[in-house]
Amino acid sequence: MNKAEVITSFIHNIIVFNIPLLYGTVGEIMVEKSGSLNLGVEGTMAVGAIFGYIVGCYANSLGVGILTAFLAGALCGLLFALLTVSLQANQNITGLTLTTFGLGVYFFVGNGVKATGWPVMGDYSSIQNGFADIDIPLLSDIPIIGKGLFSHNLLVYLGIIIAIAAWWYLKHTAPGLRLRSIGENPAAADSVGINVKLMKYLHICLGCGIMGIGGYYMSLNMSGSFNSSCWINGYGWIAVALVIFANWNPALAIIGTFVFGFFNTLRVSGGSLAAAFPEVFGWLAHIPTQLYQALPFIITAIVLVVTSIKNKRGSSGLPAALGLNYYREER
Amino acid sequence: MEQYAIQMKGITKTFGSVVANSNINLTLKQGEILALLGENGSGKTTLMNMLSGIYKPDSGSISIFGKEVSINSPEDSKKLGIGMVHQHFKLVDVFSAADNIWMGKEKPGLVLKKSRYARIREIASKFGFDLDPEKKVYNMAVSEKQTLEIIKVLYYGAKIIILDEPTAVLTVQEIKKLFDVLRKMKQEGHSIIIITHKLNEVMEISDRVAILRKGEYITTVETSKTNENALTEQMVGRKVDLNIDRPTVDKTSPLLEVRDLSILNDEGSVAIDKVNFYIRGGEILGVAGIAGCGQKELCEAIAGLRPIQSGQMIHKGDNIVGLSPKAITEKGISMSFIPEDRLGMGLAPSMSITDNMLLKNYRDAKGPFIDRKRGRAEAEQVIKSLEVVTPSTETPVRRLSGGNVQKVLPGREIKSGPNVIITAYPVRGLDINSSYTIYDILNKQKLNGVGILFVGEDLDVMLSLCDKIMVLCHGKLMGVVHAHKATKEMLGLMMTGSLDLTKEKSHGIAKDTLFKDVLVSADAPETAAQAEEEISNSGDKEE
Amino acid sequence: MGFHIVKRDICPLWKRCCFYLAAIVAALFIGALVLLAIGVDPLEYYYQMFTMGMVGNRIAYKTVMNYLRDFVPLALTSVALSLAFKMRFWNIGGEGQFIIGSITASAVAFLLGPSLPMWLTVILMCIFAMLAAGLYGLIAGFLKIRFGTNETLMTLMLNYVALYILYFIGETKESWNFFLQEGSLRPVFESFASLGSFPSIPIGDKFQLNICVILTLLIGVGIYVYLKYSKQGYEISVVGDSMGTAHYAGMKVKRIILRTVFLSAALIGLAAAFKVGTVGVLSTSITNDVGWTGIIVAWLAQLSTPMIFVVAALICVLQTGSITAAATFSKVDSSFANMLQGAILFLILAAEFLVRFKIVRVKKGEKTNE
Repeated sequence: MNKAEVITSFIHNIIVFNIPLLYGTVGEIMVEKSGSLNLGVEGTMAVGAIFGYIVGCYANSLGVGILTAFLAGALCGLLFALLTVSLQANQNITGLTLTTFGLGVYFFVGNGVKATGWPVMGDYSSIQNGFADIDIPLLSDIPIIGKGLFSHNLLVYLGIIIAIAAWWYLKHTAPGLRLRSIGENPAAADSVGINVKLMKYLHICLGCGIMGIGGYYMSLNMSGSFNSSCWINGYGWIAVALVIFANWNPALAIIGTFVFGFFNTLRVSGGSLAAAFPEVFGWLAHIPTQLYQALPFIITAIVLVVTSIKNKRGSSGLPAALGLNYYREER
Repeated sequence: MEQYAIQMKGITKTFGSVVANSNINLTLKQGEILALLGENGSGKTTLMNMLSGIYKPDSGSISIFGKEVSINSPEDSKKLGIGMVHQHFKLVDVFSAADNIWMGKEKPGLVLKKSRYARIREIASKFGFDLDPEKKVYNMAVSEKQTLEIIKVLYYGAKIIILDEPTAVLTVQEIKKLFDVLRKMKQEGHSIIIITHKLNEVMEISDRVAILRKGEYITTVETSKTNENALTEQMVGRKVDLNIDRPTVDKTSPLLEVRDLSILNDEGSVAIDKVNFYIRGGEILGVAGIAGCGQKELCEAIAGLRPIQSGQMIHKGDNIVGLSPKAITEKGISMSFIPEDRLGMGLAPSMSITDNMLLKNYRDAKGPFIDRKRGRAEAEQVIKSLEVVTPSTETPVRRLSGGNVQKVLPGREIKSGPNVIITAYPVRGLDINSSYTIYDILNKQKLNGVGILFVGEDLDVMLSLCDKIMVLCHGKLMGVVHAHKATKEMLGLMMTGSLDLTKEKSHGIAKDTLFKDVLVSADAPETAAQAEEEISNSGDKEE
Repeated sequence: MGFHIVKRDICPLWKRCCFYLAAIVAALFIGALVLLAIGVDPLEYYYQMFTMGMVGNRIAYKTVMNYLRDFVPLALTSVALSLAFKMRFWNIGGEGQFIIGSITASAVAFLLGPSLPMWLTVILMCIFAMLAAGLYGLIAGFLKIRFGTNETLMTLMLNYVALYILYFIGETKESWNFFLQEGSLRPVFESFASLGSFPSIPIGDKFQLNICVILTLLIGVGIYVYLKYSKQGYEISVVGDSMGTAHYAGMKVKRIILRTVFLSAALIGLAAAFKVGTVGVLSTSITNDVGWTGIIVAWLAQLSTPMIFVVAALICVLQTGSITAAATFSKVDSSFANMLQGAILFLILAAEFLVRFKIVRVKKGEKTNE
């Protein structure tokens, strides 16, 4: 690889490997804006991953895969909503349980299917083709960055479109306004006739469905193998962190994904950068990969502290009623 | 037959074993103002919440404009043309005024347009209100929030408007303005229910009065055919002497003196601004002011819970600035503050009465363990002397009813034998009987020579209970007046800052001050030396 | 006629137990359906699971020892977490604090073990693990009282920071790294069992009761007394119940928070020292998820110390049993345990609803006679 190619592939990798974070984050923002703190992102993504992949392959259709992953994720959301919205269960505990349960399902189904023959993505032409990179005309011809930024698979574009749509929905639409009012003060929303339960159910399911697609992306990106180590441990948790980093704004989540993705990619491709530019990036080879892995969490911790120091009213996107269950007849 | 706006029949509602409403009948005529009168805990708010869709009745029927309905949610209530302004406003703090209205609009369209601000401004002025639609709720004063709530229900097309204790947080002038609004709405054909326990307001605004007592419906009377004494009797269930005693006691030299005190609030802005006052033994000094004008910060500063910015505080001549809360308690200064939720400060709601008794003296026990035996004994004593109704000393305070909760607090405070009592809102949410019990407790302490700082809400009570009243406005002292010479209107003007007596002469500085480095007051320079002499004498006596 | 949901005042204990039992049975039933679907006899499977394969097994004593080895860190971690939870400080950083504790304890064993008697090494392992984990926990506590930083999210982040420190130690083959085996080319953790292991008391001719079990029970009793009868325990209750009241009573709220968070995290460090001092070697999965499971245990036990021991014991049966069962039934993946555990918890969460609320019938339109 020449030097330009190294840079191009580095930029490309930032996006390609980290889009699941964007799905997870945007999904979780949807859920949290309704006032629910779902710590089960990891489990929800895992469930979306396994069912999306298997059903998608058997149907030999990327669309069916996406839809299945969305529905599987939404089903996890339904479970979460049933327990926390209707049955008033503690959100933290329910979320943690969802993670245990979701990962359990992932490995149980995965290992079960593997025993009878794991579907290999290469055997399914539609999926293979559907997941191939698509060049954006003109933009992708820009030297060096063109191929890096504007030549990606369908799900990358879909993720970015979903993020922008979510931002617009929350900020500029009437249903978005209602959703935010529930996250801030469910009693106020209820008193003006907003159907709090229905809105919560809808958005928890929607958000979890988006996380499910993120999980599906991960399983596709593993290029169709299955073993216990291929699950990227912690992506769901990074998403929870990214929500804070993005200040509950889906548009900022895109930037956050790139920032976190940058460090993630340094971990994977830092070596090739160092080899291609020994003078400039030589030092990268000496940095332990674990530091890059820890960086998203360290950065989020710093962001948390900085925002709590500023703590100006109205500037934080943190929903005031986050994590609290709403019971109308509370006295 | 006359058609009623609301007709409630045989409404019963229970919460667990507590019967909040029992077989209640209520009617609201079209275009009238009905006052719903009852003591705290009589079930007024519960009853109204069944109209607003928060609760569902266990049994009974509700008819709106002659049609029997079933109200299952606030949405149903809104559709029926009922709008309720809750006592604790239901507003989203981080939203603008317009968005708070817009979020409940029937068909708002998909996209939020800037034009909604103009629409809301237009609507507000149509109803005769001045409202900045872009102002965020967290920047609003209490009265502005209330205005917003009223505009909100009007905008949603409410024909029936329910207001839950709307005057509790307003000044005299603001109340007058609110009543003008209500009269205007009535003229336009709205039917209004106003919940209150203040009799003078009932007499002033309402056409009819419905009375509840302990969850039961008593009667409905025409306002013009009744009077305050009759209403009280029906509300309380027996004859009550509405006069509050103000025994006269020989006053001692100042126990607590505060000079040029400035305090910051949690947000870092000035809460109390260069305030002077003093309390003598055997007197009750009232503190009047609209909510949030520095009362809480003042109480906390005296108790040593909040650092002061500048100024001095002396107790019997000794500096208490910078002392620990424990040291201040040991000097005999007791502070109790009843916040709006009535539980958040002073009591630990999930803990037993016994444990709550130990709150200020648990450290006195020897060794690493607490002395529950002592707490239990104290709890039993307080329960007995103040007639607290409770299953046992081990019952969590949260399970007690409001009145009983609030007896626990002064019970604990008085038991330690203080010489200065700082008490804020001690009768907040109490019924008349319990309130008078509390006034009696305070008067007894006053007779024993204790100096009392009484932070209150109800000006009528303060005028008859306190000896002197100091008025605060935005943290500034507006003057100290003798209660028997003051009027409500005058206090109201001072509370809003329209009348500032300190401009003529300085207030709140005792002639016989115990300050050693005497800051001479403007009007009495020649008495300073003489006062100092007196001090040394009286100081000796007290030791 | 309609139905309506009402909050309960009190739910009698027997009723609660019935609800929970029903939840567990329902979850097991769902699990049984899954087992049937893959062609495994659920009764046999559950029999293996709940007996942990001990019946008719000659090495059953080993199962008990393994069981206790898992039980000790879980129970102690839950007890520790309950301290912070009682104060409404949502420390979900048990994982991170446990990791820091186990790294420190191992380091003490490697560095001081060769030159000190075993009993002293073990004591120092405990002390240093407690200090290190306690200080690690204090980070979130300090930020909370200083800037009001959300402790739930903060401790969550710190879990991962600790995890990658552990990975770093476990994957870096360098001369300074005394945690790894010298001889091996691939990075492998070195055992320190001969340098710092907790002693065991032999009971009968085979069974060895590790002293950590006894210590954990004693600490449990100690914490119970501490929370219920001590001045500090009283302060924790007041701060947890109402911060305003604690402040009003002249308590040094910030100091109480720091003290309690430190104690909570330090006890988790001690749990870690117990764990590494029993297994004798570090691993990247040293926590066995006790930081997470501990939260669930503490919550299910409603922060009552005796109940924590009961719940932890039950959860451990589930975990140990499913590993045994997975070994017997090759068709069933060991992840079945996670699924089953998830299902049980979901249904218990649902049952909790029936404990806190009751469903009553509402008679509509019933007119009263006047």
